[in-house]
Amino acid sequence: MRRVFLLLMIAALVLAAPALAQDSQFGIRGLGTPGRGESVRARATGGAFAPFDAFSPLLDASVADVRRVTAGVTTGTSWRTVDFGTESGSLRTSRFPAFVLAGPISSRLAVAAGFSTYLDKSFGIATRDTIDIRGTPEPVSDEVTSDGAVSDLRVGVAARLHPRFAVGFALHGLTGSTRVTAVRRFDDSTTYRTSTARDEIAYHGVGGSASALLDLGTDLRLAAWVRSDTHLRADIRGRTVSDDDLPFAYGGAVRWRPGTQAAVAAAVAWRSWSGAGLNAHDTFNWSIGTELGSPTSPVRFGVRGGQLAFGPGAKAPTEFGLSAGIGKQFSGGRGRLDFGIERLERKGTGLTERVWSFLLGLTVRP
Amino acid sequence: MKVRLTRFALLLALTACTEHATAPGVCPDFCPGGQIGVVDTIFTDMIERDTAFSGYVEATGGEVMVVADVPGAVDSRAIFRMNAMPTSIVIHDSTTSPIIVDSARLQIEILHRDTNATNLWIKLYRLPLDIDTTTTFAQVIPAFTDSIVDSVSLNTLLSAPLINDTATVRIWTVPIRTDSAGHILRVIGPDSTLFLDTYLDTAQARFVAADSGRVAFGVRVSPDSANTIALGTSDIGRGARLTWFYNYLDSTATVKYDSLSRGPIFDSFVFNPPTPPIDSNLAIGGVPAARSLLRVKIPRLLRDSADVVRATLIMVPVGPVPGAPADSFTILARPVIADLGAKSPLSTNSPFFGTKVIHLNVADTLRMELTDLVRSWALDSTLASALMLGQAPEGASYAQIRFYSTRSPAFQPTLHITFVRRYAFGVP
Repeated sequence: MRRVFLLLMIAALVLAAPALAQDSQFGIRGLGTPGRGESVRARATGGAFAPFDAFSPLLDASVADVRRVTAGVTTGTSWRTVDFGTESGSLRTSRFPAFVLAGPISSRLAVAAGFSTYLDKSFGIATRDTIDIRGTPEPVSDEVTSDGAVSDLRVGVAARLHPRFAVGFALHGLTGSTRVTAVRRFDDSTTYRTSTARDEIAYHGVGGSASALLDLGTDLRLAAWVRSDTHLRADIRGRTVSDDDLPFAYGGAVRWRPGTQAAVAAAVAWRSWSGAGLNAHDTFNWSIGTELGSPTSPVRFGVRGGQLAFGPGAKAPTEFGLSAGIGKQFSGGRGRLDFGIERLERKGTGLTERVWSFLLGLTVRP
Repeated sequence: MKVRLTRFALLLALTACTEHATAPGVCPDFCPGGQIGVVDTIFTDMIERDTAFSGYVEATGGEVMVVADVPGAVDSRAIFRMNAMPTSIVIHDSTTSPIIVDSARLQIEILHRDTNATNLWIKLYRLPLDIDTTTTFAQVIPAFTDSIVDSVSLNTLLSAPLINDTATVRIWTVPIRTDSAGHILRVIGPDSTLFLDTYLDTAQARFVAADSGRVAFGVRVSPDSANTIALGTSDIGRGARLTWFYNYLDSTATVKYDSLSRGPIFDSFVFNPPTPPIDSNLAIGGVPAARSLLRVKIPRLLRDSADVVRATLIMVPVGPVPGAPADSFTILARPVIADLGAKSPLSTNSPFFGTKVIHLNVADTLRMELTDLVRSWALDSTLASALMLGQAPEGASYAQIRFYSTRSPAFQPTLHITFVRRYAFGVP
């Protein structure tokens, strides 16, 4: 039975893996939609447990608690409705946003490497218009699509300097590409041919992060992190087409574990996205979550809120979400499967998005 | 319970792997920063060189023989010589019996005609046997003056009642119309081709054994601006047919009756005024057929930074082509595989062809769509960017059109191109 279970799990991960997707229409006119850097476990708690979760690529100091080589992978599928007031649409996308491999190199040091989605840049938009050519109105249909993302490749090290205090540092390489297509179709296809332009955009950037964990007693843990990314350069066939500032970010969190079968956490984060070009805004995000039950099969709940980095107008779009999930250990604790479900609502000038996400995560300790 | 939830979640994951990522665009707030920009420009310098060549297809190689008599414009007449006949029949071993021709029937196919014609007479003349590819209009004038064999009013035949009794249809396969002189008219096929049969006696169709039964005929129409017809030729298997009816004595000295058909060994048409020689302009069509080669230089803009969505060749005619108002011809533009001047091999890739119908007596500017051809040149720099303009079919019209060439800068050929600028990817 367990073998069948494992096979199903692997199949699910493989089939869900290939696609990357834009999470929000708000990011189309900006650099994209920032990724969350959260494992399924953290996501099911609204993101509140991310700073304390070694397999959420957010806070490097948490890797210090990994005492065996362990790998964690996250995948998910979203069903999204967009409502512009006059227009609406339904979208379905799958993505493979995070992978972390971590393990100790000494009794105090641990290292972690992996990747996560830094900016989702997959989208497709379709528009209709009528243009005047040779003195005649010609109805046209345009479709612009982008498929790809900027990934955050992370190599980090964490050290437990004291039984109650751990620090972590990481270097981040931002890299990725998008395959982009712009198609114009003319209703009068006898006279006018369809125009198709295709290209591939390569993205490059670097960043660094530092973090710390401090235990205040056996039940209370504090976390703080800071991260700075430089620029995101976009190249087409070796020619730089844009170079945008990336944000300085910082945040903090607190986790309280009143017993062996209950934990509550809260987290906040600020990011200075406003320097990242058109339609960019600084953001503040918060989250509160809980994990209940046996560590082998916990149940999780969370709530999150805050702002989105990109959107039209002077005011940043807002986001509010509820999430829940379960976890299941197997093979004597060598593996863990996490499921999560999340409901998000994003509102901004001229657009409301509602998203259902189904998340699947696997953690394996060989 | 948790095991069921786990299985349900796995099933959900397995079935959720399809994508639908395209949404309605509400611009500019929720669209990318780039724009799909359309530019419409007349490139006056893209056709950098051009040349006219003549001598491709003679009238004898044409698909039709044009017969028209438009006063003040053109007088075109069909001429054809029928194949030889045996003058005797083998009746037993090497014993032969001479044939005695008593009559003949000439059948011609009228492929095109002006349906507005109200007084269209088709006249048949006997011509000398020495007509060939070098025969000129002037050389056949005497025969067309004094050797009339028969004449028939096509309008009278067309207005005659249809005879469709079973006996008639069994003989002719279709209903027929006939006149008091015995001419038979049939309308056959989806293109409504007219089959005209004329019975000729021995004075009209003279069977001369010394000539092996060869005879030559000419066809003209009565003068009128609407009187224009096109007769089928042997080049497309629709030439005139002459059926000889004869008798002979068999081995028992009994009179036997039989018939034998002959097709043309030569068919052509002559016209006046003749096609003028090539000058500095671009010539297309006429007899012998002329073609014009246009060499196109694709600008870097179209190769690197644009996508051609429409391309139109614009050529200004030197003047209207005189002829019957109902007559027209098609100009066909074909890309060359290699630019070897007059002998450039032409592509057979028909999607890249351009066509335009030219109506006579009208001096409209030619606008021919060449979108797929110009797109192929813009995408593949190894292709020979030249095209040959010719008449389709060639050698089947007295009409030749002339356009101003690059030697007349004010009216030179141009390309009107609509293109989409390269999309500015990567700009938010």
